[in-house]
Amino acid sequence: MRKQSPIVGIIFWTVVSTLTLFPIYWLFVISVKPAVQLFSTPDVILSDPFWGNYAKVWGDRLLRSYMLNSVIISTGNAILCTILGFFACYALSRFKMSGKESIFFWTITNRMAPPAVFLLPLFLLMTQVYTIGEWRLLDTQIGMILVYCTFNLPFAIWTLRPTVDGIPKELDEAAFVDGASSWKVITEIVFPLCRPGLAVTLILTWVFAWNEYLLAATLTNFNARTLTTGLSEYVTTTGTEWGIMATISVFTLIPALIVFGLVQKHIVAGLTFGAVKG
Amino acid sequence: MRFALTIGASALAFTIAATSAFAGSNDDWWKKAAEPYQGVTLRGVTESSPPSLYIREVLAPQFEELTGIRVDVETTSWDQMFDKAIKDMEAGTGIYDMVYIEQDIIYSYLARDFLTNLTGLIADNPDLKAPTYSEDNFTTFADYFKDGDGNLYGVPMEAFIKVYLYRTDLFNDPEIQAAFKEKTGKDLKPATTHADYAEIAQFFTDYGKENDMKLWGTTAQAHTGHVASWYEYFESVAPTFGVYNWGIDADNNYAASVANGGSMNSEEAKEAMNWWLSMRDIAPPESNASTWTEVGTTFGAGRAAQGLVYGENAGWIAADKTKSLVVGKVGVALPPLADGVLAEAESGEGYIGYYDGGAFGLPSTSKQKEAAALFLQYIGQDEVQPDWAVAAPRVTNKSTYDDPKVQAMNEELGGYYDMLKDKGYLFAGAPAYPFHAQVREATAPTFYKILTGDLSVSDGLDQMATIAEEELTNLGYRK
Amino acid sequence: MQSNRLGWILLAPTLTILFFFGVLPFIYVVYVSFHSWNPFAANPEMIFNGADNFRRIVFDEEFLNSVGVTVMFVFFAVLSELILGYILAQAFMKDFPGKSFFRTIHTLPLIMAPIIVGSVWKLMTTPSIGIIPHYLDEWFGISMNIGTSAFAAFTTIVIMDIWHWTPLVTLTLIAALVSLPPDPFEQAQIDGANKRQIFWHITLPMIAPAVVATVFIRLMDALRTVDEVWMLTGGGPGSSTRFVGVHIFKEVFPKTNYGYGSTISVIVLYLTIVACWLLYVTMLAPRNSKEG
Repeated sequence: MRKQSPIVGIIFWTVVSTLTLFPIYWLFVISVKPAVQLFSTPDVILSDPFWGNYAKVWGDRLLRSYMLNSVIISTGNAILCTILGFFACYALSRFKMSGKESIFFWTITNRMAPPAVFLLPLFLLMTQVYTIGEWRLLDTQIGMILVYCTFNLPFAIWTLRPTVDGIPKELDEAAFVDGASSWKVITEIVFPLCRPGLAVTLILTWVFAWNEYLLAATLTNFNARTLTTGLSEYVTTTGTEWGIMATISVFTLIPALIVFGLVQKHIVAGLTFGAVKG
Repeated sequence: MRFALTIGASALAFTIAATSAFAGSNDDWWKKAAEPYQGVTLRGVTESSPPSLYIREVLAPQFEELTGIRVDVETTSWDQMFDKAIKDMEAGTGIYDMVYIEQDIIYSYLARDFLTNLTGLIADNPDLKAPTYSEDNFTTFADYFKDGDGNLYGVPMEAFIKVYLYRTDLFNDPEIQAAFKEKTGKDLKPATTHADYAEIAQFFTDYGKENDMKLWGTTAQAHTGHVASWYEYFESVAPTFGVYNWGIDADNNYAASVANGGSMNSEEAKEAMNWWLSMRDIAPPESNASTWTEVGTTFGAGRAAQGLVYGENAGWIAADKTKSLVVGKVGVALPPLADGVLAEAESGEGYIGYYDGGAFGLPSTSKQKEAAALFLQYIGQDEVQPDWAVAAPRVTNKSTYDDPKVQAMNEELGGYYDMLKDKGYLFAGAPAYPFHAQVREATAPTFYKILTGDLSVSDGLDQMATIAEEELTNLGYRK
Repeated sequence: MQSNRLGWILLAPTLTILFFFGVLPFIYVVYVSFHSWNPFAANPEMIFNGADNFRRIVFDEEFLNSVGVTVMFVFFAVLSELILGYILAQAFMKDFPGKSFFRTIHTLPLIMAPIIVGSVWKLMTTPSIGIIPHYLDEWFGISMNIGTSAFAAFTTIVIMDIWHWTPLVTLTLIAALVSLPPDPFEQAQIDGANKRQIFWHITLPMIAPAVVATVFIRLMDALRTVDEVWMLTGGGPGSSTRFVGVHIFKEVFPKTNYGYGSTISVIVLYLTIVACWLLYVTMLAPRNSKEG
């Protein structure tokens, strides 16, 4: 495999990338097609694009606030889950606590729950229990950040565990011998070494939160509505506004790409840290 | 194009409409009535359909400017809307002051006392009664939102009938007419019987094939995994064969099967299903994956010569050039009927199709009922209707039909509003069942199996009738 | 050595959040699952009915069918994703021109929300109009109709899922591969091991924890798949793509059958836990306990 000619590689990657990109390209095609052409014979090549949908979406103030909510909720949730997940993994990796394997397995069961039925108790809790005076957790950004922890925190713990376990304990011990505090060992020695795993966790938790639909649709009303719930507004009985939906989707790719760009550097940094030759 | 049929296409139009808000002579009354409710924010939830978006974009801002009462309208998808409203009302949270009630849910809400009696509320608070609002202004459609004593529980905001839509350019083409005459010996005109309809459908499907056109003889809302198909059969096809109210007899212990006195698996029901499936088989291939949305798109793309289409879609198909290729080429007619059905519909015993639509209701759990009642009256006034009808084709008040703007639109829609006005009484809303969604969902999987051919029509309808009765027993309605 | 107290302190925030947003709702669902409760029944109250719901579920054909199709879906989708994901991850370990560009492209499907993915695939596969059936028919004479063919609908959903989620597998496996120490590989090469031996005896055991973690995540998410299927087929044709997630959704949302819906959810959750536990015990736990 190592000595194959670069042409094979280029062909391989071109094919894979084309397959990967096609549905996204098609999304773009839909976004620049007038509605009237959607049910006509499809053409692979784009001709005469129509930018009306973009003008509409860009000018929609509600969508802008949905976008902001989405960014705040997914970023807040991803950072929270990555940090808490890292702490939890460190605890599971370095301490001999009784029942820790059970705890570890139990965390993941939170992600297994079929969400539809859990909406009702969450709704009741967030409107009637988690309240302070008139204020309630329902329809708030912090509420969604916390709710998303139910599926993202287990994910973070599960993807980070192998990484944290992989950092040799001798490093911690050497630091303790040098008189470092536990906090310092965790944040300044182990944390940086886990960078590739942390970056992947951050990206993926962000993506899960960014894409979540069902919980947001039920647990937000006016103030914390996210982009995915905004999308569902275009599926109506008088016709799905495919063009607008596709346009919004194209817009949602932009912040996602920025996050990816920022975080991918750290995966790349990780590549040099422990490269394996295949 | 003068008609701004969708919010998407008409953000600009709405801004204009909003600034030219009608200058009513009753402004002072509204200001005074709203005085006690300054600083109040009303919250509503609705489906993001054009009429609802008109409320959010136009009527709510107008109302706020006039009265100082803020109105936030949450628009969401059909599935989500009911779930959110039900959770709120069931738990008594009081998030919403207005909820969208569609025909398919109103009787469930009424059975649970989820809604405020608007007639009573306004009668008890004479100060709240707007001079320009009267229940008498509504069309008969409002009757579907009343209880047994005639009390109104929702202000109508959407109203459509599912019509027989046909392509006038094809039906009036002399060459096609001659070909049809030659083939069938009949004149080509909109069908009045199922046999005629089938003949025309077959003719056009063949015609499309022979001429290598993307044209088929009929539409079919026959999705194999979405309740749209279930609705087309029970609301629009079965009644034209004389099977009403889904074949469930409310006066006979909610019987569904013939054995117990229902008609869900009657000979007529089976004939209706066979006819409909035979139409589906000569409809465009996408019909098997079509909901109401795709049926509209299919027709708008010029792929069908005739079909049963919801009025809300007939509007944009007939008049919106940005979405439809058949603008100005569409005529409306009454659905084809079996013998005797028209007579039954005229006498009020039966109906010939679905009168669809919704209203804005006031949840019992709302904490701001008085302010909400003001807004509901505001959107129920005759004065706001014409512009609303033009922006999103729907008529809920009698006087709206006479407005010049609406009359002009009637022309473009091939006489759709005339039919709604004159023949609307032949159509009916959903049966008055508090278990609407429950029985629908319980029987739907079996229904889909009939569509896919896994079950024969006869066996399938027999099973559906049994399942419906079981579900009704489980729910405690059938004793 | 550090004290266990610190360990518990580090775990505390996680456990607290999961308690308030995971455990409490779960207790409520279990409670409801022993009741008959439909707010639109003749009696809208919650009525305790013991284990009736659980007895009913055993004979519920629709439910059992949905479990069957879900298991098939999960099997085909997750297995393909794992194999493809590993091949791609290995391919990304090599240096080649434009690598970071291709890697970015490859991760793009992840940032599309399931409801968007469902919508795009729906438009691409609409019978006779979508681009895929159109060209399948024009080039190969194959007629593909996801409205009538259970096979076409099921396959489309599997392919859609592979397209959407293989990048996740690739990413997590890249993260695992890059953190492998190079020594064992160099040693093995010196000893003359071939590629297959290296894969089975060195690479696989070393990345096993990451593989299992990834399989877990994909398994669970695939079991809960709703949005894409909802957009694409609605569970049809017939019940051929009515996965448990979709089944529960239909039971709880339109049908408002909270009591029985809760029962199904508890059972599904239980089955998922058992399946994962078996996987976990056989593949990971011995390893962890050995080391921990």
